[in-house]
Amino acid sequence: MKKFLATVLVVVMVLSLAGCKDDKKKDGLSGKLTLWTIAVEGDSNYPAYQQALKEMKEKYPNVEVKMESTQNDDYKLKIKTAMQGNDVADIFFTWSCAFLGDFVENGKVYCLDDMYKKYADKLPEAMCRNTTYNGKKYGVPLTMNVVTLFANLDLLKKAGYDDVPTTYEDLIKCCDALLAKGIIPFGCAGAANQEWCITEYIEPLIIKTAGADVMDGIFQGTKSWNDDGVAKAIDTFNDFMKKGYFAADDAALDNDTVKANFIAGEYAFYQNGSWNCGDLAASGLNIKACEFPVIDASKSKLGQLTGGPNDTLAVFSGSKDCELAAQYCFELGQLICKYGYLAGSGLPAWKVDYEAKDVNYLTAQVAKLVEGANYLVLFGDNLQSTEATEIYLKEIRKAYNGEVSGKQFAEDLAKAIR
Amino acid sequence: MKHRSTSDTISIIVFLTPAVLLFAAILIAPMVMSAYYSFFDWKGLGEAKFVGISNYKELFTSELTPFPSALKNVFILAGLSVFLQLPISLGLALILGRGIKGERFFLSVNFIPVLISTVVIAMLWKVIYQPKGLLNNLLRMLGILKEGDNNILFLADGPKGHLLGSVIAPMLWQYVGYHMLLMYAGVKNVSPELREAAMIDGATPWQVDRFIVIPSMKQVIKVCVIFSVTGSLKSYDLPALLAGMRSVTAAFPSTMLMNQMFKANRYGMGSAIAVLLILMCFAFALLINFIFREKDE
Repeated sequence: MKKFLATVLVVVMVLSLAGCKDDKKKDGLSGKLTLWTIAVEGDSNYPAYQQALKEMKEKYPNVEVKMESTQNDDYKLKIKTAMQGNDVADIFFTWSCAFLGDFVENGKVYCLDDMYKKYADKLPEAMCRNTTYNGKKYGVPLTMNVVTLFANLDLLKKAGYDDVPTTYEDLIKCCDALLAKGIIPFGCAGAANQEWCITEYIEPLIIKTAGADVMDGIFQGTKSWNDDGVAKAIDTFNDFMKKGYFAADDAALDNDTVKANFIAGEYAFYQNGSWNCGDLAASGLNIKACEFPVIDASKSKLGQLTGGPNDTLAVFSGSKDCELAAQYCFELGQLICKYGYLAGSGLPAWKVDYEAKDVNYLTAQVAKLVEGANYLVLFGDNLQSTEATEIYLKEIRKAYNGEVSGKQFAEDLAKAIR
Repeated sequence: MKHRSTSDTISIIVFLTPAVLLFAAILIAPMVMSAYYSFFDWKGLGEAKFVGISNYKELFTSELTPFPSALKNVFILAGLSVFLQLPISLGLALILGRGIKGERFFLSVNFIPVLISTVVIAMLWKVIYQPKGLLNNLLRMLGILKEGDNNILFLADGPKGHLLGSVIAPMLWQYVGYHMLLMYAGVKNVSPELREAAMIDGATPWQVDRFIVIPSMKQVIKVCVIFSVTGSLKSYDLPALLAGMRSVTAAFPSTMLMNQMFKANRYGMGSAIAVLLILMCFAFALLINFIFREKDE
């Protein structure tokens, strides 16, 4: 009997051990990783990162992740300095195109081609375009965003409009009607350092005047800034300023204040990134998300939008375990995309294979816009090199201050950015 | 003349070496590296291309790197520091040095801005400067801004704004207390017997300050002038927080340096600005020393 019991116990123990081994196999990944992001508390993506990391912890309990978040602008300084010293986290947040391109060019980023094969059915190839260099993939896109024209329908109603005008001519009439009622048509932050908010108006204006192919070509360096469409778009913007379509006070306000003013009903329109959908939908206002109408139909058409997948996770080539980091990066990226989309802080770059009926109505409207998009031109401050971006943003400031005509703007940039 | 023994020399070398090495590694080496990189076109990563003095040339000739504008701004700040901030600090130090009632309290109150983090100060002034903020409301209350007048755009970066003034004002305000404290120490160093003797001879408090206290504080005033001029040249935190690093109207050499180095990825250009800044700081420190020495003689 004793022998029998001992045998049973030994068998049970062996099976238990085997079970443990199986469990580890099920977990798949194990090790320690560091992660650098810009999702500081208060950032619109912060909840998405928290939820994604929580789920990853449950799924991969043997992977210990140490996350460090730094505010956007400071992060840009931090990552560039860290890259010089080869002291970067295993997985790091980055912006696509030129920003990541500099690191790739210098061999600082691990190629994700092999790992991508595992996720190809969930992550469309087109979404990796902005992080592909010389045919190789180096980044995992998170959410994507497009510039969206948010309209306060209640204010439009006061000016006699039940819906957002769909033609440019009607939009101008609508703006004039709004002004006549004492309502400022557009909200745009213009304080120092807020040039990116001004580009949210100017880039769509150029696209809807000169065409998305021209804007894309200019940013990619294949076309010249010295284009009649560009000049005309800047003149249109100058006209908007002169007519008082933007509040004078906005020149001294930052984006958070302008957004708050829009929510407080101070402007009829607010053109900014689709990452605002969550906050604006939660405001309780009657808002519609749409795209800026076409100005020159011979060169542009509806569906030509500014934006695309930009927020990215990448793996540092000097990581101790690049394979582990790469797989974790894909898994985490997929979850951040999911929770970011559900929270309304962006559109999904990954395929939606989960229940998304709770997505707020503005994100759903923008998703439809993107579905119907025929050309996406990434934001100019991401698509261009860092050096060109600084020159571009300085000229944007001059345009906002009314210091340059459209022709001058186009000529100055053509001369300065080669 | 005594000759040092070998053991003395060894002791000097042994004790000085760590400090010299540290000084060389932390101060001299980065300066030399900056000077070296200022002759290159380098993105911070990858290969650097030798471009000679073209970074320096571009600083003074290109519209895209408005160094002359940054220099003008920094000289305005330095001028205001020396001719507005320091006299206010001196005035406060002299008043407090007379031993008025609540001397300690006023000393602490004036010193508080120095203790507050610059980030907090920037946030406070941002609120003050808002178009519908404290300052605009105050100006309306005082009748300086009439009904129908537009708000003053303190933080607007352009011809319609007052960004440079808005950046400089809190910088002057913040360090009034710092210089006041240095000068207060100088005032307190003046022998009370001297003061009393002058008073007995019929001097008014102002005459005591003018002919006894201030001349005795020359070294302290010299230090304050050096601090405020070199501090102005190096000023970075408040301009960066209130005006950003891209502003032309409120550009400062340090914000330009950061913009070129870390935003535009032009490490060579950033190094050139750093070298010029170092040279300017040395030059002004020497000049101020010279001016004060002349007067000594």
